Amino acid sequence: MTQFIEQIIFALMLSSTYALISVGFTLFFGAINIVHFSHGDVAMLGAFSGIIIYGLFRFMGSVPSWLITMVIFLLTFIIIGFLGTFFERTVIKPFRKSPLLMVLVATIALGIVIRESVRLFYPQGSNPQVFPKILPQVNYEIGRLLMRFDHLLIFLISFFLISFMFLFINRTKTGLAIRAISQDIEAANLMGINSDIIIAITFLIGSILAGLAGILIGSYQTVVRFDIGLMGGIKGFSAAVVGGLGNFYGAIVGSLILGFTESLSSAYIPGGAPYKDVFAFIIVIFFLVFKPSGILGRAAPIKI
Amino acid sequence: MKRKEIFEIIPFIFIETLFFTIAYLFLIFEKTYSILGILSGIILFSIFINKIPKLNFFLAKCFSEYKKLAIIYGIIFIIALPILLRNYPYQIFILFNAGLFALLALGLNWQIGSTNIVNFATGASFATGAYTTALLAIHLGWSFWILLPIGGLAAAGIGFILGLPCMKTKTYYLSLVTIAFTLIVYLLLNNLSWTGGPDGIADIPFPKIGNYSFDSTIRLLGLEIPFQANFYYLTVFLVALTFIVDRRLRYSRIGLAWNAIRNDEVAAECQGIDVTYSKVLSFSLNFFFDGIAGTLFAFCMSHISPESFTFNVSITVVAIVIVGGMDNAVGVILGALLMTLIPEKFQVFQNYRMLIFGFIILMMLLLRPKGLFPQTVRKYY
Repeated sequence: MTQFIEQIIFALMLSSTYALISVGFTLFFGAINIVHFSHGDVAMLGAFSGIIIYGLFRFMGSVPSWLITMVIFLLTFIIIGFLGTFFERTVIKPFRKSPLLMVLVATIALGIVIRESVRLFYPQGSNPQVFPKILPQVNYEIGRLLMRFDHLLIFLISFFLISFMFLFINRTKTGLAIRAISQDIEAANLMGINSDIIIAITFLIGSILAGLAGILIGSYQTVVRFDIGLMGGIKGFSAAVVGGLGNFYGAIVGSLILGFTESLSSAYIPGGAPYKDVFAFIIVIFFLVFKPSGILGRAAPIKI
Repeated sequence: MKRKEIFEIIPFIFIETLFFTIAYLFLIFEKTYSILGILSGIILFSIFINKIPKLNFFLAKCFSEYKKLAIIYGIIFIIALPILLRNYPYQIFILFNAGLFALLALGLNWQIGSTNIVNFATGASFATGAYTTALLAIHLGWSFWILLPIGGLAAAGIGFILGLPCMKTKTYYLSLVTIAFTLIVYLLLNNLSWTGGPDGIADIPFPKIGNYSFDSTIRLLGLEIPFQANFYYLTVFLVALTFIVDRRLRYSRIGLAWNAIRNDEVAAECQGIDVTYSKVLSFSLNFFFDGIAGTLFAFCMSHISPESFTFNVSITVVAIVIVGGMDNAVGVILGALLMTLIPEKFQVFQNYRMLIFGFIILMMLLLRPKGLFPQTVRKYY
């Protein structure tokens, strides 16, 4: 029983980090019908910027650790937000009206460029890098139940970030503009919305969430490598698709399904740990084949 | 022969010889500067031809009039290439590699080029062919020539089973299914014990014809040609075969149906085309040729491991098709040559290969989104 609760907490934490990435996919797809395949690599960049900032702080001597954590989150917020918008301007904007295969391959190529740049230009980039312990390493024991405080904290931070994004989308004027664009971009333009800027803001938000997800993923995996973004991106995309591409709640439901499949299959299927991704992807394929519109998504009608 | 014809044929053959010489020099040069020089020479040459309309017109006219001559000359060059390159076995090996990618890309072209199906499962089908035949060869000792079609059929079977349910999905969803499938196959190969795990399968026997093993040097007229040439000729033969199959398919009802689906799926269905059947057919055929390529790869390398069948393979092949030109077999083959040779030639930047590769794709998509050889308007007959 205690093991089960531990697994549940772990699964929740895992799902919440997936959700941070998959919400980005849903955001971009909702806004301009584009799948940004290097989104996972943006998350990886977030993790690496966390490592670099931590390294800079170590040189400065004694700084309280909570301050370092705050600064890491803040600076990553700015850096990754800037980078994400930059990628949108340079790589995605030219393909806004071209066939989907072009966008797909362009963003995959962007992913290759990001990954290889980190591998080549980060010192010893092809080796796994130790991620600093920026979250408090405290364990609580409730009865026989061992609660890792950092796992709980990761879940809470993700939860907070996602709710914040929901509020932003649903309550602010910019959020209204984003929703307007996702319904009909031309009509939104006629209403005086500058769709260029709004799309850039969408990418800013999505990339910030992914970058912070990178920090959180790094702090529970304790090591990060240049290629974690590939798998992370595909998982996030899968979660968004399972839940229904373009639907925010769907992205969260999909992430929960994926996270729970992974953690439960590695815990309860004998010898299942190396195959946890296989189980996750089989579930993804099943969903795609039998319910392609996703759990909460609506099936797109065929237009003639 | 008339006087005029001679005046046309001789400069034409001269230009083609010039082109082949440049290609040959590109292959044997190893210094970065000389390769860059050759590359800029090629670019200048093509600009030069394009700038002078008379020359351009003359070449186009010659190509249409003396097509057979040009093709025969090209075939002679391709056959003679290993003899010219006999002191550069590694270059022959790279050409073999390019041929392998050309096989994969020709198969994929039926999907993303002709039918507009997004498919990132090339890595998986390639692996299916390679592993099936390698296991059969090791455990049962079957010969390469029996296994070549078996590898194709095994992959085609997988393609059929995967394709039947998947063709209900479209666009991004289909791309995700195929990506997930590639990752599943990679993870399974890495973790299962009977596929050798991360170490893969070693000591796959080389193909043999009678007593002649493919790892022995060719002795011809006192010349010694390195053993890589055997595989080169085999690959060239298979690429030529696939090219002919491509031609026959393209101008048959099947190719017509594929193109109709690409242009408008609903309209195609209204015309009485069985969309699901056509799509699954294109999927399975692609898997078949990928399986053959996988078999070739397994037997030529004699050692395979999951690292050769990652998602990167799928990306590379998709990039080749897009860079070469969708729905254009000649473009796809040239794209395969370019995309394998250029990263391979810059030995200095060996470490930067993937980075250069990514930049090439991005630049191509931004600057020439239709590919080097854009698809031509189909003649409906």
